[in-house]
Amino acid sequence: MEFFVQQLVNGVTLGSVYALIALGYSMVYGILKLLNFAHGEVYMMGAFIGYFVLIGLGGAASPILPVAFVIILMFLAGMLGAGILGIAIERFAYRPLRNAPRIAPLISAIGVSFFLQASALLIFTAQFRTYNTPAMIPFSVGIEVGPLRISLVRILVITSAITLMIALWLLVNRTRLGKAMRATSYDREAAAMMGIDVDRVIVATFFIGSVLAGAAGVMVGLVFGRVFHFMGFIAGLKGFTAAVIGGIGNIPGAMLGGLLIGLAEAFSAAYISSTFQNLIVFGILITVMLVRPSGLLGSPVLKKV
Amino acid sequence: MPRIGTDEWAAQAETRTEHYRGLTAPARRAWDRVTPQARFALFLAVAAAFPFTTDSTFLQRVGVNVLLFALLALGLNIVVGWAGLLDLGYVAFYGFGAYAYAWVSSSQFDLHWPTIATIPTVVVASALLGLLLGLPSWRLVGDYLAITTLFFAQIFVELALNLDRINLPGSDEPLNLTGGPNGIPGVDPMVIFGIELLRVRDYFFLLLVVLAIVVIGLFFLKDSRTGRAWRAVREDPLAAELMTTPVNRMKLLAFAMGAAIAGLTGTIFAAVQVGVFPQNFEVTLLIMIYAALILGGAGSIQGAILGAIVVASVPEILRTPENARFLFYGALIAVLVATVRPWRRLAALAGAAVAFGFAVHEIVALVWPEGVEAETRGEGIGGLLDSWVVLPAVERVLIGNIAFVLLIVAVLSLTQLRRDTRFVLLVPTIYLAAFVWENRLIFQPSVTRQLLFGAILVAMMTTRPHGLLGTPRVENPV
Amino acid sequence: MSLLELDGVSKSFGGLQVIDALDLRIDEGEIVSVIGPNGAGKTTLFNLVTGIYPPDRGDIRFGGRNIVGLEPHKIAQLGIARTFQTLRLFLNMTVKENVQAATYGHTKSRVWQSVLRTPFARSEEREVGALAEQLLGFFGKRLVGYRLHQPAYSLSYANRRRLEIARATGTKPQLLLLDEPAAGMNPAETQEITGLIGRLREEGGYTILVIEHDMHVVEGISDRVVALDHGVKIAEGTFDAVATDPRVVEAYLGARATKEE
Repeated sequence: MEFFVQQLVNGVTLGSVYALIALGYSMVYGILKLLNFAHGEVYMMGAFIGYFVLIGLGGAASPILPVAFVIILMFLAGMLGAGILGIAIERFAYRPLRNAPRIAPLISAIGVSFFLQASALLIFTAQFRTYNTPAMIPFSVGIEVGPLRISLVRILVITSAITLMIALWLLVNRTRLGKAMRATSYDREAAAMMGIDVDRVIVATFFIGSVLAGAAGVMVGLVFGRVFHFMGFIAGLKGFTAAVIGGIGNIPGAMLGGLLIGLAEAFSAAYISSTFQNLIVFGILITVMLVRPSGLLGSPVLKKV
Repeated sequence: MPRIGTDEWAAQAETRTEHYRGLTAPARRAWDRVTPQARFALFLAVAAAFPFTTDSTFLQRVGVNVLLFALLALGLNIVVGWAGLLDLGYVAFYGFGAYAYAWVSSSQFDLHWPTIATIPTVVVASALLGLLLGLPSWRLVGDYLAITTLFFAQIFVELALNLDRINLPGSDEPLNLTGGPNGIPGVDPMVIFGIELLRVRDYFFLLLVVLAIVVIGLFFLKDSRTGRAWRAVREDPLAAELMTTPVNRMKLLAFAMGAAIAGLTGTIFAAVQVGVFPQNFEVTLLIMIYAALILGGAGSIQGAILGAIVVASVPEILRTPENARFLFYGALIAVLVATVRPWRRLAALAGAAVAFGFAVHEIVALVWPEGVEAETRGEGIGGLLDSWVVLPAVERVLIGNIAFVLLIVAVLSLTQLRRDTRFVLLVPTIYLAAFVWENRLIFQPSVTRQLLFGAILVAMMTTRPHGLLGTPRVENPV
Repeated sequence: MSLLELDGVSKSFGGLQVIDALDLRIDEGEIVSVIGPNGAGKTTLFNLVTGIYPPDRGDIRFGGRNIVGLEPHKIAQLGIARTFQTLRLFLNMTVKENVQAATYGHTKSRVWQSVLRTPFARSEEREVGALAEQLLGFFGKRLVGYRLHQPAYSLSYANRRRLEIARATGTKPQLLLLDEPAAGMNPAETQEITGLIGRLREEGGYTILVIEHDMHVVEGISDRVVALDHGVKIAEGTFDAVATDPRVVEAYLGARATKEE
C-alpha cells in the first residue's frame, strides 16, 4: 500500500510536468493547427536556464540568497527565457509559413527542434547536469501522511503546477486576451475580421505555452535532477500525446492527459518492467490515438464536404 | 502579336520568364534540353566511374553512403512526396531490413542463408511490416499520423536495445534477438551470383545497380495509374475516394512500397557495415533522410538523388578541418553571390568584409593580445585566416559559444531588416560567422552537421518549400 | 425499376434531423433538380448517395442493388459520380491528369505492370489519355490544347467547375450528381452551363441529379424538380408545379409572404 501511494505521488509529480508541457502543445495546436515539434526543446532550454541561474547564485550547496528566492528566480528566469525562445521560434520558423502547405510548418518545426538540440549540445556539451536539489532542500524534509512522507520538493512542484494551471484557466476564461485566443482558435479568419489582432494573439499563445514549458523544465530539474540536451525529445512526445489524449485544443483535457501519462509511466515502471517502461507508455499512447483520436474530453470533428 | 491577357499570352508566361541571362545562360539552356532519361544515364556513368578515380576506401564509403541515402530518400518520396503521408517511422523499416538480414546471415542464430533468398524475403517482410504500420493512416491524418509513426520509430529503437534477454516459456536460456546495445556484429558479406562482395567498391556497384532499377521503376510508376492515384490521395483524399480511387488501399500500398525500398536498403547497409547496431537507426537518421528529400524537393526523383548527394557528403566533408573550411567559405561565398545583386554591391561587400576583419584583428591584438594568439594551423587559406579572424587563446570555447548565440540573433535579425541596413550589418555578421566557425564549429563536426540540417529544413521551408528541383505547389483551402 | 431509389432515408447530426424519411426515384435518362433553401439537406443527400456517410435508416438502391454501407469508391465504381459545391480538384495535378486520375476504377494495370511498362499497361495508358482528352474536348477549346498540361490551380473559377464535371465523367458514370454547377458563375457562363447539362444527357447518356439555386438553370434543364426543406420532401413534379407550390414559396420566403399573397 505504501509503495502504491509512493508511485501515485511519483505519477502525479511526473503528470503535472507532462500536463504543463501538454498545455503548450494544446494551445498552439488549438490556434494554429500546428504541431510545434520544437516545444520539447523549449522545455529543455528552460531546464538549462534554471540550472545556470542556480549555478550563478552559488549552486545548490551554497546559495548566496535564501533558498526560496533562489527557486523563485530559477522559475522566473526559466519561464521568461523559454517564453522569449517561443516567440522567436514563432516569428522565424512558423510565421513565414502561415499560409503554406500543411506539411511545411511541421517540417520546419522538426528542423527547429533539431537545430535547438544541436545548439544545446554545442553550448552545454553532452554532459548530464544535475540541480543537486537535495543539497538545497533535503528530500527528507516533507509532510508525513501516515506512514508516508511526501518530500517538500514534490509538494512544491505539484502546487506550483496547479497554480500555473489555475492562472492559465483564469487567463483564458476571464480576460480579453483569453477571449481573443478562444475566438482565434475557433476561426482565425473570422476573428481577424472582427478586429482581433491575430498575430498578437498567436505570439501571446506561443509565449504563454513556452512559459509553461520552461516552468516544467525547472520542475523536472528540481525533482528528477538530470538535465541534458536530449531531454526535450521524449518529454515533448509524451507531452504532445498527453494533449491528444485529453483532446487537443482543450485545456482541462491537457491536464487530464498529462496526469494519466504520468501515472501510467510511474505504475508501469513500478509494477511491470522498467526496461519496457517507455514501450508500455508508447503502446498506450498509440492505442488511445487510434481508438479515440479526438481525445477523452474533445469532441469529434464533423467532416465538412 | 498576341494581346496581353489572352489565353495564349498567359500560356506562354513560362517561356517568357525562363530567359536565362549572363555567362552561364547557354549552358543552362542546353541542360534544359537534356531529357530526364539522358540526365540519369549521365549520372550513372559518372557514378560508375567514381570508384575507379580513387583507391581511398574512405571516399568509396562516402559514395556508398550517398547511394544508401538516395535509395532511402526515394522510398520516403513515395510515402511523403507522392502519397502525402507524413511517415516519421520510416527508419524502422530500414532498421528492420538491416536486422532481418543480420538474423539470417550471421552467427547470431547460426543461420547463413544465401543472399539471393534473403533479399526477396526481407523485402517482402518489410513490405508486410509497412502494411501493418501503415494501418493508422486509415484513421489518422497529418500531425496525428506523424506522431504515431514517430512512436513506431521510437519503439523500434527501444526494442532493438532491449530484446537481448527475452525469457521464453519452456526454455532456460533467454533468447537474444537483437544483441541489445551491442547489436549484431560480424554479419556475412553478400554473395550475388556466386560473387562474394568483400570490398566497399563491390557494394558501391551493387547499390548503383539497385538504384538504377529503383529509379527506372519509379520513373515509370510516377505517371501510371498507381502514381496518379497516389497524387490524387495527396491532393484531396475525399475527392480521390469519390473518383473511384480506393484511398485506404493506396495509402497502404505507399507505405508498403516505401518500406520495401527501405528494407532492401537496410540489407545492403547491414552487409556493408558488417554489423547492425541500434544507434544506426535513431531519429537523427530520420531527420537526415527528410532533409535530403526536402532539400531536393519532395515529389521529385531527381531531387531525392540530389538531396542525398548533399546530405550524405556534407558530414564527411566536415570531418577534416581543411575540407570543412573549404565547404564553409565556399558555401558562404556561393550564398552571397546568389543573393547579393548587383555585382558592384557584392564587390563592395567582399572588400568591406576583408577590411573589417583585418581591422578587428588589429584592434583586438592591441587591446587584448591573448585574443589573437591561437592559430588555425591550416595550410593555404588557414594561414591567411590567422591574421584575419580573431582566435583567442584563452576561454576560446566560452567566447565561441557566446559568439554562436550572437550569430543566431544576428542572422535572424538580418532577415527582418530593410535592404540597406541589412547590407551594412551583413559585414559584421559574415565576420561573426567566420569567427564562430573557426573557433567552435570546425572542431565539432557532428554537432555542426546537426545544426546544418536543422537549419536547412527551416530555411528551405520558409524560403523554398518545394526544394531545389521540386515543383511549387498550392494548397487546397480547407 | 428506377436507376436510383431512396426509401425512407434519414440522417441526423447530433440531434439535428438533416434528412427525414426521404423517398426519391430517379429514372434512367432523367434530369432531376433538387432545390431548397440553405440547410435543406441537399448536399447531405448527395453525401448519403455517394456513401460519405451512411444513413441512419432507410435504403438506397442503385440499379436495383443496395449500396448502403459500401465504401465510397465502390459506389463510384458502380457508376455514381459527383462534383463538389466547394470545388475539390486535384489542384497540383495537370488538367489532363485530373481526368485520368478518375479512371482508376475502370482501369486494371497493376503496379508491376506499370513498373515494367508491359504492353497492356502501355495500351491502357494510351486509352486513358485519349479518353481524358475526349472528355475535356466536351467543353470546346476551354480545357484542351496547352491547358491539358497546366496545373489545375492555374484555371479560372469557371474552368475549374467545368473540370470538375469532366473529372466526374472520367469515372464512366451512369448517374451524375452535380452540386451547384452554376454557383459563382456570371450570367453568360450560367447560360452555357444550362446548355451543357442538356448536352451531357444527349451526348454522354448520363442520368443527372443536380442541386441548383439558380431558378433559370433549374427551369431550363429539369424534367422534374424535387424541393426539400428541413430534410423533408415538400414538393415534387414539373418546374412550374413546384415553383408555384405554396409550401415551396413558404420555405423560400417565409410564412408571412404566402399569407399576404
